[in-house]
Amino acid sequence: MRRPIWVSFAVACALAVAGATALDALVFRTPWYVSILEPDSSTGLFELVLARERDAQQRNGANLVVTLGDSRFAYAPRLANEVASRTGYVFRHAGVAGSDARAWYYMMRDLDPTRQRYRAVVIGMNDYDDEDEFNDPNDDIRALHYVIARLRLRDIPEFAASFDSAALRWEALRGAVWKGIVLQADLQDFLAHPNWRLGKVAQYRRFFDFWTYNYLETDRTMTGLAIDWKTMRATLPPGLNADQKGTIENALLRDPAPQTGRVAAFRRHWLGKIIDLYRGSPTKVVFLRLPRGPLVRPDNLVHKLSSSVREFAARPNVMLVPEHAFDSLEHPELFRDAIHLNRQGIARFSPMMAGEVGRLLDAPAQRASR
Amino acid sequence: MLFNTTAFFLFLSVVLILFYASPRPWRKYILLAASYFFYGSWNARFIALLLTLTVIDFTAGIWLEKTPPGARRKAILILSLSSNLGFLGFFKYYNFLAGNLALLLGRPVDSYFLHIVLPLGISFHTFQSMSYVVDVYRGEQAAVHNPIDYALFICFFPQLVAGPIVRAREFFGDLLRWNPPASSDVSRGLFLLALGLTKKMAFADQFAKVANLYFGNLAAHPAMREAWSGVFAFGMQIYFDFSGYTDMAIGMALLLGFHFPVNFRRPYLAASITDFWRRWHISLSRWLRDYLYIPLGGNRHGRWNTYRNLMLTMLLGGLWHGASWNFLIWGGYHGGLLAFERAFRSDTERPWPGGLLYPLKAAATFVLVLIGWVFFRAADLRQALQVLARIVSRTPGHGLLQHWHFWLVGIALAVAIAEERGEMVERIMKTPALAYAAALALMLFCLDLFGVIDQAIPFVYFQF
Repeated sequence: MRRPIWVSFAVACALAVAGATALDALVFRTPWYVSILEPDSSTGLFELVLARERDAQQRNGANLVVTLGDSRFAYAPRLANEVASRTGYVFRHAGVAGSDARAWYYMMRDLDPTRQRYRAVVIGMNDYDDEDEFNDPNDDIRALHYVIARLRLRDIPEFAASFDSAALRWEALRGAVWKGIVLQADLQDFLAHPNWRLGKVAQYRRFFDFWTYNYLETDRTMTGLAIDWKTMRATLPPGLNADQKGTIENALLRDPAPQTGRVAAFRRHWLGKIIDLYRGSPTKVVFLRLPRGPLVRPDNLVHKLSSSVREFAARPNVMLVPEHAFDSLEHPELFRDAIHLNRQGIARFSPMMAGEVGRLLDAPAQRASR
Repeated sequence: MLFNTTAFFLFLSVVLILFYASPRPWRKYILLAASYFFYGSWNARFIALLLTLTVIDFTAGIWLEKTPPGARRKAILILSLSSNLGFLGFFKYYNFLAGNLALLLGRPVDSYFLHIVLPLGISFHTFQSMSYVVDVYRGEQAAVHNPIDYALFICFFPQLVAGPIVRAREFFGDLLRWNPPASSDVSRGLFLLALGLTKKMAFADQFAKVANLYFGNLAAHPAMREAWSGVFAFGMQIYFDFSGYTDMAIGMALLLGFHFPVNFRRPYLAASITDFWRRWHISLSRWLRDYLYIPLGGNRHGRWNTYRNLMLTMLLGGLWHGASWNFLIWGGYHGGLLAFERAFRSDTERPWPGGLLYPLKAAATFVLVLIGWVFFRAADLRQALQVLARIVSRTPGHGLLQHWHFWLVGIALAVAIAEERGEMVERIMKTPALAYAAALALMLFCLDLFGVIDQAIPFVYFQF
């Protein structure tokens, strides 16, 4: 019996799609392309951090503690490790500015495949309570660009489905299957200046650890910032730039968003997956609340419905640094804008954080020995 | 609904499924409904305009058939043509004429302007409709008696907005004796659909970014190389964009069992401007030749009348593209070049690849065409003259194109030469399924690496 025409063409189309997917995989699912990514791109930075921390695992002993977070978790590992003689732990930072729990999950999965490399995974949170803002964390498409090189074929359904909007689900699905669509700007930029890119990549490979380990944050401050919470009017320090003003608008003076539970669901899913990675392993998952800002929004502005982080604390390998451990740092002179610590803030926060985490990790052992 | 969007491919899939799943007598109704839906998705109000022109020309065709030769028959023809040209003139040229009249009277240019939205594809479907009426008048085409058939001829969605301009006998030949597409047609149709999409999204849109960067901010790019790269980029954009659209239109038509004429035959390999017009937008050139140039006298009344006819045809061809002095100058420029070539043409001109001088001739023709594109792309005459001045400027500056743009050009050139020498696409059609699938896979991979996916840059010819 002859096959109908449309079957032949369906087979040809399926073969064509499979062929294109194979070519895409040959370029973008092999280590080669990851090795030439633009270091200053989202994907390139994420991969650099991952590679740097893999190298660090070889150099350091068994008492490694890795921290995860976005740009707010700005501490200096060098300063944190200056108290290593006291804490006994070596801190490494695998956080990436702009990333979120979805990206941290893929980071940890590939950074610690045996689940035995770290004594603890420390996750910096803005708040232990779940507060919804106007942006839906599920629909942050930047996650696709951070983790694109990490996504395996079997990750695709869950990753794509984790976006709320249909358009973004499609974008994530398409990009995760055909990585070239996401990385084409990077590839085109490489093709435009290949030698320059290769030189830059080599330089970053050589110095990235040194640069980041010894990085000094700006010493700009927010001294003089005051907010009348009744009228929601701010008195700004002189000489603020647009970025600094923007963070005040977005972080401190923002209108309360309807509390829908999206942030809680997002955290339960992705932080829950990180905790699940370490279920039954000796590694602890530690949450800490970061210093919130130069000024703190009054609690009565938003009624928060849940606290997924406190819920996690009931699990056996999860620990919470006391919520108010870093409240003493919430002063305008220790912040460079409305959310980020400045150099002085980091200098005080880093050893404090190392001390708090060290105490917490040692506590069960002490309890056991008593 | 642009051809290069997910929405359009969903639409096309639904149409194909409905078309082939339906009993045969229903199929043209499905195509008609799909075509009006496609047109209405852009602006539903203009469906009324499309219907009005359809009714006028359908009725005119039947009257013409019934009316014996004479003044009355001519009056019907004039009435029909006036209706088409009247609508076209109003929507497309009113503001241009009103602006120039205002300037002549010393008033602000917008004194008599009306807020007119140009109906999508009006230049194409009016020309197609007029050709039908003229063919019936000439006795070269029998009048169509089924209004559904005629309406489908005018609004068939693959070619409604930007051609190719199909002749009535070609379309009705397929419609009235419709047969399911042969395996070779499906294979060609699918291939052309993929090829057109690749030309549009991976080639045209990448060059569009550079052309838009240049022409969108001339002040930021004052040097010669910037001008050349902007103009070159537009030359690439318009070719890949329009021929890509046409490939998709022809491909879709083939999947539905219709055969459209070829509209592009590697125009940038042309060895002269005359040759260029035999290869570029062939369906329009053919229309202009049959309904304008030859009725004007063609080349039958001596040299000077031939030059005049060439110039008039190209001026009107230019004006057909858009209501501005730029398009008129572009048409005049090509008319002048055609007349010049006609005056000095060698009788021993050999087709490609004959002649050692061919590469030089092709390069010179390409440069002449690029210069013409300056008028086509520039926002106004002042900008066009600015660009032309910069092309010969002594400040070299830096080009706006990257190395990989030239790789794309190199690939396209290699494919074009292979196609010119041995009809490469035809040979791919005849290869085993695996090789055919590999060719499709390469196009998809090209889209993966270079396709401008999320911007949906409109087709250049959609504005006409």
